[in-house]
Amino acid sequence: MKRRSLLLWAGLSPVLAPLIAREARAFGQEGAFHPRLMLTGAQKVDAARRSAPSRWSWEVIRRTSSPARLVVDQIMTDSSDVLHEPFLVWVGDGNIPALTPPELRRLRQYFELGGLLYVDDSNPKEGSFGRAARREIQRVLPEASIVQLDSRHVLFKSYYLLDGPAGRVTGPSHLDAIIRGRDAQVLFASHDLLGALARDDSGTWTFDIEGGASEREMALRFAVNIAMYSLCSDYKDDQVHAQELMRRRGRRQQ
Amino acid sequence: MNARSIAFSDDMVGLPLWLTLALFALSLLLLLIEMQQKERGGVGILLSGTAACIICALAVLRPVIVEAKTSSVGPRVVVLVDQSRRMLLGASSSTRYDRALQAARSVGAHYKDGRLSVFGFAQSELVSLNPNSPPSAALLDSSSDLVTAFNRGVREAGERPDAVLVISDGRLARPEDEVSDDTLKEAFAGVPIHTVSVLRDAPPDASIRHVRAVGAAVAHQPLSLTIDVGCQGLKCNDIPVVVRELRDSVAPAELARGKVSVEGDLGSVSLEITLDRAGARVVQVAIESPQGDTVPENDSRYLTFEVSRDRVRLLHLAGRPTQDVRELRMWLERDQSVDVVAFFILRGDGDNPNAGESDLSLIRFPVEELFTQHLPSFDAIILQDIDAIRYKLAQYLPALAQYVKTGGGLIMVGGPSSFAGGSYAGTALDEIFPVEQPRGAPAFDGSEFVPVYTPAGQGAAVTRSLRELLNGQLPSLAGANFLGAPRPGAIVLWEHPKIRVGADPMPVLALGEAGDGRSIALAADSTFRLAFGDLAASVAGRSYGALWDGLLGWLMRDPRYEAARVELAQECIAGVPAQLRVTRLPGMTGKIAVELRKLSEQQTQSKSFNGGKDGESTSDIDLGALEVGGYTARVKIGDGPPTRHDFGCEKGGEAWSDSRPNPKLLERIAHISGGKAVNWDEPNELPPVEMTQIVAERHTSPILPPWGWSVSAALLLGAHWLARRYGGLA
Repeated sequence: MKRRSLLLWAGLSPVLAPLIAREARAFGQEGAFHPRLMLTGAQKVDAARRSAPSRWSWEVIRRTSSPARLVVDQIMTDSSDVLHEPFLVWVGDGNIPALTPPELRRLRQYFELGGLLYVDDSNPKEGSFGRAARREIQRVLPEASIVQLDSRHVLFKSYYLLDGPAGRVTGPSHLDAIIRGRDAQVLFASHDLLGALARDDSGTWTFDIEGGASEREMALRFAVNIAMYSLCSDYKDDQVHAQELMRRRGRRQQ
Repeated sequence: MNARSIAFSDDMVGLPLWLTLALFALSLLLLLIEMQQKERGGVGILLSGTAACIICALAVLRPVIVEAKTSSVGPRVVVLVDQSRRMLLGASSSTRYDRALQAARSVGAHYKDGRLSVFGFAQSELVSLNPNSPPSAALLDSSSDLVTAFNRGVREAGERPDAVLVISDGRLARPEDEVSDDTLKEAFAGVPIHTVSVLRDAPPDASIRHVRAVGAAVAHQPLSLTIDVGCQGLKCNDIPVVVRELRDSVAPAELARGKVSVEGDLGSVSLEITLDRAGARVVQVAIESPQGDTVPENDSRYLTFEVSRDRVRLLHLAGRPTQDVRELRMWLERDQSVDVVAFFILRGDGDNPNAGESDLSLIRFPVEELFTQHLPSFDAIILQDIDAIRYKLAQYLPALAQYVKTGGGLIMVGGPSSFAGGSYAGTALDEIFPVEQPRGAPAFDGSEFVPVYTPAGQGAAVTRSLRELLNGQLPSLAGANFLGAPRPGAIVLWEHPKIRVGADPMPVLALGEAGDGRSIALAADSTFRLAFGDLAASVAGRSYGALWDGLLGWLMRDPRYEAARVELAQECIAGVPAQLRVTRLPGMTGKIAVELRKLSEQQTQSKSFNGGKDGESTSDIDLGALEVGGYTARVKIGDGPPTRHDFGCEKGGEAWSDSRPNPKLLERIAHISGGKAVNWDEPNELPPVEMTQIVAERHTSPILPPWGWSVSAALLLGAHWLARRYGGLA
């Protein structure tokens, strides 16, 4: 099966169900934020984090004007579905086998079209998925080099003003990334963002967060920022925003 | 007439002749020297010696009697009549040209025995002129170049004329007034030039002599205009001058205003103007006519500026961030020729960011500033899925409509909050959009569809790149806004395969013109599928750029996306038939239809013209004689979108900018070339030119046969020898 569309009910309150059903077919939803999960080889989505993408979309809908897809697709990397939208999430918690030639080819096509891949290491303390993902992405984009994005990058002001990435795990204060021109192609996070977003069937958070509720809020905000960055690119780097954002940054630091 | 004369033998010319004469002279000299040694009979020696020398010389030269039949021919006189349009300026009760023609006729009578060749001269070619049947004003040119005319009529002609006659007012483009005498001598050497001045005194007139722009006209960038104003015979102190841009269906925009201080007979002022729209723009420069101005037509100039664009300044407003917004944003950002100012609504009224303002990067949407202060600074506006009422655009829609009418561009991209869904139906934008907006629910249809190219879409330059890239295919789109029928003059490029408006398919992508501006309606919100998807991947996503390059290029009047290149075949002069030259771009087929309208605040009646044939790359379309003013021509080829060209039409144009005659220059030319300067009513003062004798038949007969000269010479030499012996000479 190349494409598996799953309605990820887990973690969503029953109240949302009618909304999901209504939104999924409406005009204007095709371009909505859609954190599609990319699967490689025999990889499967961790059951505990399966609800996270829908929660991500839900937070985007609740907090921003952007539409988002609550019904999130899982895409096999070698499938042409990879090429249909510009955002993919690759999540894992351990080492992964090398990407097959069709997967490599498809990802190269995806990046050629301008797609953005968010790599989320569910077990950043051990870090084997992060290392494996970097290794494989280097095979996809051999010319590209990985750079660090600190809090000055537009990703950290695309909606909220953030000091750095956040997730279930505190992690480093920067993101690793591959940049082409002005736009990021790949974001490597070592904070288990999906872990911070995941809820169980009863609607409670699946994982505890290092740093408590305020850190979870930061993780939600970081997730919204990634969504906004994927939809608006470097919009918040525009000159019209510069003065005001600088003023607010200054005020926050005081 | 018969003439009889004596000449030497035909073979005795040049050196033999001179050698013979030298020997003859030497012989006489030696004879005189020898005479000092004589003893007697000096007279006989001298006479016989002289006679012998003469006869010997004649024996060599062999004189003949020449009988010739001759005729006298009138002198060749070349008459050059100034045919600049300036000659149509008044001179008493007639025009300068009338006077020139009258002078040419009088000259003909004056040189009735002469052979007159009368030519009209202006900028380049000499044209044969019959003073009794002059050409229409259409043949008159904007300036007159006497130097070129002289070279063509005198130096390059077969028979050199005996005299040249120039009839003009002296306000020549060449030679210029300040030219040195040496230059004049060099230019007019060889033939006497007589000049006839048609006017000596300048008419009371204030005029715009020159309008000079420093540098090229670039949209949004200040352009300095230097305006020279001349005034003679009137009280001119501070003359008000105003610069306006003429626009279609809206009031002219005043670009600058100032005063010219005239000192002597000339004043100058520099005014800075800014033209915001690219393409051909008609600018009127006008002075306030002083009282008593006899040539009010040259108080106003209509100049066409070809305004180029450095960068396209674009305002992109989106009601919510989506993948479609992302793709458009990224494409605009990548284009180095586009300067984007973007405002995306990231948070709506019902959204709860769960944070205070200081934790958010959101700023207020400055709708008032954008639509009241900054609107004219943008070349185009993109409205993408933004609700007019919710985001307070509704009150500025009349200003936005006016912005388009005055030359701005507008694209509305589809989405739930676009067109009727965004409360734009029934607003001022109704008359701007190329399509009608049906009111009432539903505002959109959510079903997938593959848009279909219309015949216009299949032929339009705006979609050529996309068609070629995808071989005419288009991706499936996720729903569409409901649009109504296309407005008159609009061009539909894509239509819906199923939804219909009346009997016709619903437009999905349509282009239209409104006043000076252009607008595009795109009823879909998923053109990002030209960047992402199987079809897009087959061309590495370039199809998205191909669509938007075309749309924005057409909106900004980029010549690459026009159906044709349009220009005037020649300067447009009021009252003279004008022609529009239309050059088709590759692939554009069909008949040419031209709609011509005067640039005016009022909706003026347009005139239609047709022409051109398939396979003919360039066609001249006759527009007939036009009045003074600015015009806009919309040229449509086949079903394609129209190409617009604006131009000005003037009464006299550059030729009338300086009404002063310059008789002094004519006098200088006459003086330096050895001719005479007279006034137009004094042709009898012109000097006569001598008749030329032409030999028609010639007979020669020898006075003596050669043996007769030889015998005579021998006898005389013998007699001289005897005389010398008698006188004691050896």
